[in-house]
Amino acid sequence: MSSPFSINGGACVAMVGKDCVAIACDLRLGLQALTVSNNFPKIFQYGDNVFLGLTGLATDVNTVSDLFRWKVNMYRLREERQIAPRTFANLVSSSLYEKRFGPYFVSPVVAGLDPKTGRPFICGFDSIGCIDFAKDFIVSGTASEQLFGMCESLWEPDLDADALFETISQSLLNAVDRDALSGWGAHVYIIEKDKVTKRLLKGRQD
Amino acid sequence: MPGFDFSNYNRNAALHARGVPLPKATSTGTTIVGCIYDGGVVIAADTRATSGPIVADKNCEKLHYISSNIWCAGAGTAADTEFTTSLISSQLELHSLSTGRKPRVVTCMTLLKQHLFRYQGHIGAYLVVAGVDPTGTHLFTVHAHGSTDKLPYVTMGSGSLAAMSVFETQWKAHLTQDEAVKLCADAIESGIWNDLGSGSNVDVAIITPEKTILKRNYIKPNERTQKLKSYVFPKGTTAVLNEKIIRKQDIGNFVTIHDLAEEAPAGGDKMEVDT
Amino acid sequence: MYDAPTMEVLLGITGKDFTLIAASKAAMRGATVLKASDDKTRALNKHTLMAFSGEAGDTVQFAEYIQANAQLYSMRNEADLSPSALANFVRGELASSLRSRKPYHVNLLLGGVDPITHKSRLYWLDYLAALAPVPYAAHGYAQYYCLSILDKHHHPDISLGQGIKLLNLCTDELKRRLPIDFKGMVVKAVTKDGIIDIEFDDDKVVHAA
Repeated sequence: MSSPFSINGGACVAMVGKDCVAIACDLRLGLQALTVSNNFPKIFQYGDNVFLGLTGLATDVNTVSDLFRWKVNMYRLREERQIAPRTFANLVSSSLYEKRFGPYFVSPVVAGLDPKTGRPFICGFDSIGCIDFAKDFIVSGTASEQLFGMCESLWEPDLDADALFETISQSLLNAVDRDALSGWGAHVYIIEKDKVTKRLLKGRQD
Repeated sequence: MPGFDFSNYNRNAALHARGVPLPKATSTGTTIVGCIYDGGVVIAADTRATSGPIVADKNCEKLHYISSNIWCAGAGTAADTEFTTSLISSQLELHSLSTGRKPRVVTCMTLLKQHLFRYQGHIGAYLVVAGVDPTGTHLFTVHAHGSTDKLPYVTMGSGSLAAMSVFETQWKAHLTQDEAVKLCADAIESGIWNDLGSGSNVDVAIITPEKTILKRNYIKPNERTQKLKSYVFPKGTTAVLNEKIIRKQDIGNFVTIHDLAEEAPAGGDKMEVDT
Repeated sequence: MYDAPTMEVLLGITGKDFTLIAASKAAMRGATVLKASDDKTRALNKHTLMAFSGEAGDTVQFAEYIQANAQLYSMRNEADLSPSALANFVRGELASSLRSRKPYHVNLLLGGVDPITHKSRLYWLDYLAALAPVPYAAHGYAQYYCLSILDKHHHPDISLGQGIKLLNLCTDELKRRLPIDFKGMVVKAVTKDGIIDIEFDDDKVVHAA
């Protein structure tokens, strides 16, 4: 209970679909049992279709999201192109491992489409930058155990954008309802080849 | 040599002093093995990554590339095995480029042990190093504190006892390649079934003087069966309060390019533009 | 691990065209009230106000450091930083202090009105430098009593009068429930025209049920 990963609470999940990916997070920011804000998004955009979800200690969610905004801006200026999801994942990994002996208390999730092939890409990390490449889904946050259960049963291969939205939404919503520290609304991004759809979900406010 | 950044260390130490537990890193509670045979060396690993009691990744890669003729199996803290092997791989590549010789397994092992010893075990990488170089076929284990072993067959990780029992009962001198692969795969499978930290599939790498063959998911004894029922929800199941669609083609609506050639102020030079 | 909340009261409420900031007047040291007219707020510029609580010494030191830097920026650039820019600046300073040998232990509320859009803004920052934009906020034990009241009665486009009424609901409850006398509140409102002191009745007696 006193782990820095569970002071503020929060959950994040990413899923692969057919020619699309989805990433979703809850909106709670708390101090242990007290909810301070019900509008604290944990997904950040770093390119046309590169998204990063960050759960864990809220101050580090702020710090790390700002840090990557800076790093990605510098990358774009140097390279005169957008960063690809896989490149970004490696940037996240090495940035976190640089702090191997004094880590940020975050569990990042990356989701996006490869700009060349258009192939879905998702991966997750531990707090010291070990990448977990997955073909199906990635979960993180205080509701990660619940999310593992939901995703493992609801996810199936080759879901289209609409089906993927329902699957990721129901997985997240039902997982956070079994976690006292997560919930209070959700954001869902559905990333397709030429459009990104951001939806605000109706979630329980308790 | 990595430049570790200790800027969060003070804060985290202060937090730790107030009773905050250290973060859980993904660890490869693992079974990894290696075995020399007549004509080469085989290493193998399971593919389960764990975070505490949770299976974080069901099909991760624990066989790491060092050079074309040297491969490494890693157990312990997953991030440490990943970054330590890639670091030494880079150093070895540069060393080989500057000397104009093929990298040697002892060089790799020495670089690894010196790196790990310097960090006094805090870098939790437990490795099986195997390879073939101009001096012959080699197999080593390297522990996180920097100690090394040189043996004809080795096991490491939480499943090392289960795997070693297979080696101790079935290993013999002068194995053929097929026998060595079978023996290593059996040892990993023993870890998969009998050790909770290990699971899923068997990865195998065969290194010979000619080439290296990586057999990813050589055995898949835990394949997920097709679900009997689909749980796809009908469209509209989830209540949506707000929706925003960003289309690539619409981005042009916000950034427009005007040709200002005819409006150029008198006297001013026209700006040169790349065409 | 998260520090026990304090008896110091900080409250912030946004409305249609204003942000209200209120802070208790008691300066406390252990069980002793040292002062009953303490002002735990500092104006960062014409339209941004910061309220602070936390470890004695750290609070004023940090707040005045921020105040000086905000004023320096205004002088150099002949333009004020917006509330959001200031909030992110304050967060950055607190976050880097957190990584030093002796970090500041300060909880903050940063309220203001954006000089360009005229939208009211309120930022909640804890001593770990977690930043969140919020419609209303509190720090310390006051959070437990006031957030529920504010959740029920707050609306994004309330008038200043309604905001003060809402503040009264909160302070009444605090007087009723907090075991110590916090000596009333300093109340200030930030509008597009600047920061104004609000007369607030501290002498009203509220009896516990």
